[in-house]
Amino acid sequence: MTIAVIYKWAPDAQEASVDTAGRVDFSRAKAQISDYDAVAIQVGRQLADATGQGLVGLTVSGPAGGQPAATKAALARGLDSVLVLADDGLDRLGPSAAASLLAGLVGQLDEVGLVLAGDSSIDVGARMTPALLAGQLGWACLTDVERLDGSASQWSAQRTQPWGVETLSLTGPAVVALSPTAAPLKAPGMKDILAAGKKPVRLVGLAELGLTEPAAGQLKATAHLTGPSRQGVVIDVSDPDAAAQALVAALGQAGLLIEGRA
Amino acid sequence: MTVSYVLAAGQAQVGDLVQAARLVSDQVVALVVGPEAVAQRVAQAGLDQTLWLGEPGPLALEAFAPALAEIVRARPGHIWATRRPADRVLLGAAAAAIEAALVVGPTEVTAQDGLTLVTAPVNGGLALSTVAFTGPVALLMDGGAAPDGPAGAVQPVSGPTASIQLVESQPSVGQTVDLTAATRVVGIGGGLKAASDLPLIEDLAQALGAAVGCSRPVAEGLGWLPKDRYIGLSGAHIAPQLYIAVAISGQLQHMAGCRQADTIVAINTDPAAPIMAQADYVLAGDLYQLAPALTRALAG
Amino acid sequence: MSFELTDEQALTREAVRQFADTAVAPLAAEIDRDHRAPLENLPAMAELGLFGMIVPEDLGGSGAGSLSYIIAVEELARRCATHAVIVEAHSSLCCWPILTYGSPQQRQAYLPDLAAGAKIGAFALTEPAAGTDAASLTTSAKREGDQWVLNGQKVFITNGGFADVFVVLARTDPEAPSAKGISAFIVEGQSAGLTVGDPERKLGIRGSSTTPLIFSDLRLPSDALLGQEGQGFGIAMSTLDGGRTGIAAQALGIAQGAYEAAVAYAQERVQFGKPIARLQAIQWMIADMATDLEAGRLLCYQAADREERGLDFAVQASMAKLFCAQMAVRVASTAIQVLGGIGYTESYPVERAYRDAKITEIYEGTNEVQRLVIAKSQLR
Repeated sequence: MTIAVIYKWAPDAQEASVDTAGRVDFSRAKAQISDYDAVAIQVGRQLADATGQGLVGLTVSGPAGGQPAATKAALARGLDSVLVLADDGLDRLGPSAAASLLAGLVGQLDEVGLVLAGDSSIDVGARMTPALLAGQLGWACLTDVERLDGSASQWSAQRTQPWGVETLSLTGPAVVALSPTAAPLKAPGMKDILAAGKKPVRLVGLAELGLTEPAAGQLKATAHLTGPSRQGVVIDVSDPDAAAQALVAALGQAGLLIEGRA
Repeated sequence: MTVSYVLAAGQAQVGDLVQAARLVSDQVVALVVGPEAVAQRVAQAGLDQTLWLGEPGPLALEAFAPALAEIVRARPGHIWATRRPADRVLLGAAAAAIEAALVVGPTEVTAQDGLTLVTAPVNGGLALSTVAFTGPVALLMDGGAAPDGPAGAVQPVSGPTASIQLVESQPSVGQTVDLTAATRVVGIGGGLKAASDLPLIEDLAQALGAAVGCSRPVAEGLGWLPKDRYIGLSGAHIAPQLYIAVAISGQLQHMAGCRQADTIVAINTDPAAPIMAQADYVLAGDLYQLAPALTRALAG
Repeated sequence: MSFELTDEQALTREAVRQFADTAVAPLAAEIDRDHRAPLENLPAMAELGLFGMIVPEDLGGSGAGSLSYIIAVEELARRCATHAVIVEAHSSLCCWPILTYGSPQQRQAYLPDLAAGAKIGAFALTEPAAGTDAASLTTSAKREGDQWVLNGQKVFITNGGFADVFVVLARTDPEAPSAKGISAFIVEGQSAGLTVGDPERKLGIRGSSTTPLIFSDLRLPSDALLGQEGQGFGIAMSTLDGGRTGIAAQALGIAQGAYEAAVAYAQERVQFGKPIARLQAIQWMIADMATDLEAGRLLCYQAADREERGLDFAVQASMAKLFCAQMAVRVASTAIQVLGGIGYTESYPVERAYRDAKITEIYEGTNEVQRLVIAKSQLR
């Protein structure tokens, strides 16, 4: 029996550059295993060790995701092996496309009853891939899980909602997306880094899986995203009290301090 | 006749979704998961049909995903949902059933020559892109209270459910705060040196009549404030009249949650912090002097 | 000739950098100000495997190789020179001689604990009257039955205040010519007869516990002898040879941290209506620092790479230490210059880098010693 963890080899959106026409350029940004995915792998490791199962990482990406630098980075986080679908054109897929290809990868594994995921990707950040993957597989799905226990196909999950702390029971197979606080984040140690190079990597392409790149919408236009334009009034802070008074005066004049205004 | 499905689970507010769906579909059908009272409230939002999946009983809201998928598969259309956990799971199942493309946070959705044009931020808010889709689209966006309309009929339906039970729900101690409803918000970020300094910010918020929010690291990394206080891409999206960001650098991920505020005041020791260029009032100074000074100025 | 790091070396840099940014950087100024050792970080450093990098896997280490090891030292030093030297003294000056010269029993008895960071190591050669002239040391070890009795004192011992295992050099044969009469011993920290004095208050690496050691009729079992009797000076010299790349890496890291602070500042500081990074004078300083760093990095990595591949590396290591130490002082000084007045204050880490850099020109073999080694290699 195996537990699978989906992860993404992708750069942080913060590091991309955007031109005035709204075209996003990721070429200078460095791909990485995000902290969110690292937490998911860590939870997977704990569960796999507790239940005597194996832990396999699944990912879909452009060719870079299949290179040793990428697979070792993932394996060093605690996976036993990885199954990588790497092919041209699969970089930075949207959640729908990624989910349908990941479902194809899950289909390649024997006896998987649990697929774990991090909170979101750091390049797209939609927080939908786990739900879409569960939909593709026809499996149960829970997100924002802070604690997961159980074995085989019976799981107990805990999470915090605005109204309180929920405990749920889940009968598998299931896809579970983990909150960033589900495990304390540990950097890989030297032994993990060196062991990574010896763990199995299975690399597959679209043709081999009999899949095609999912159709996407047609991009019509891009634009620079700006919020409302800002005044940028700089208030001199050399005298904190004078600065505070100046700000309060300005806000008051703009009608922002009137109590009870709808 | 084109159809849009608006998903509503539990306390989800779907007014804005219904309004947006009306612009692109002939028919707007609500699919409601939760107690009957929820279905009745949603039915007042001006829908053509309100389909209710029945009393959940011990089942978690996510358990109804297969039933929704079945309904949508039988008659494909656009699917709309808010960003709450259960709604996202339900949207995922329905979208996967009809291979709908997903768009998050659309600012504009229009129908044109048989295509659906959607304008939405990409990569968490780096830029805007407009994409034309030929088939159905799954849209995730912030909801809003629906204007009270005439009560519509609630039609019970049923379908297969997954085995997810809500075993226990322990109400949180202390007030939960709905940041999205607050007129004024003070946000505190990583520049705060210790949790024991939070009273400085709470005093300011009280003097201002504001709710207290924070950046992600303060809620999740440090745990100094509960998760519901975190303002950002995957947290609260606020649009108050006044947002004072104290010691918050203004990374993309945070700005995605507060960009729509009417007025933004930024207090930060670093004059080059990203937020300083996105604020209406910029105070490049130390919060440990400016926050108390502001509290005094507001009281005086 | 490939100048690319392996995946493992790149991952090591990333992992140690992440640790340095999150756990080391927040403490750096405080431990410098308080002259105190960052003992609270030792468990996390142990868990990362930082204390076992040069110890083979079968003895509890990770066997990561010299290059990964010095990259780890460099990344620590980039944020805090003290954290870096704790690891370096432990690994190069204590683990290495026990690994290289220890009997199977000694290796088994000490290395697993040292590699796990359960025990911290140190090296005691220097005495008040024997610095560069180490062969003139006077700490004595006399045979008494099946024991050795140590008397004497050491000074400036890195990690002295909290180390559990010391490699100590003492004179066993007063009759023999000075270098030949010295032997090496493994001394455990809690031994009766060992007193650890108060740590020195220093210009830099203030958090590093630098202490005197006093041996007063300290009794050691005969199996505390490391290597052969009379082999001690050779052990000490070859140990310091190896430590050279470690200190070169520390110097490199100190310089890198100072350089990054200078570049960031130059891009933000506005004078005469523009960021000072647009002024040619500043650009030239940045160019010189960047080139200096690149040269030092290549020298340092070359020495470590040669060591890893089993090639002669002593001269390259000497060149790396000589160059990187001087370079670190140069770069840190220039970094302060870029920042100007505020660089002289504690608001920025460049003043600490400047103070930390100086010691790299002195310990584990002064610049002058390195020059002798290099000259000797050229004029054979």
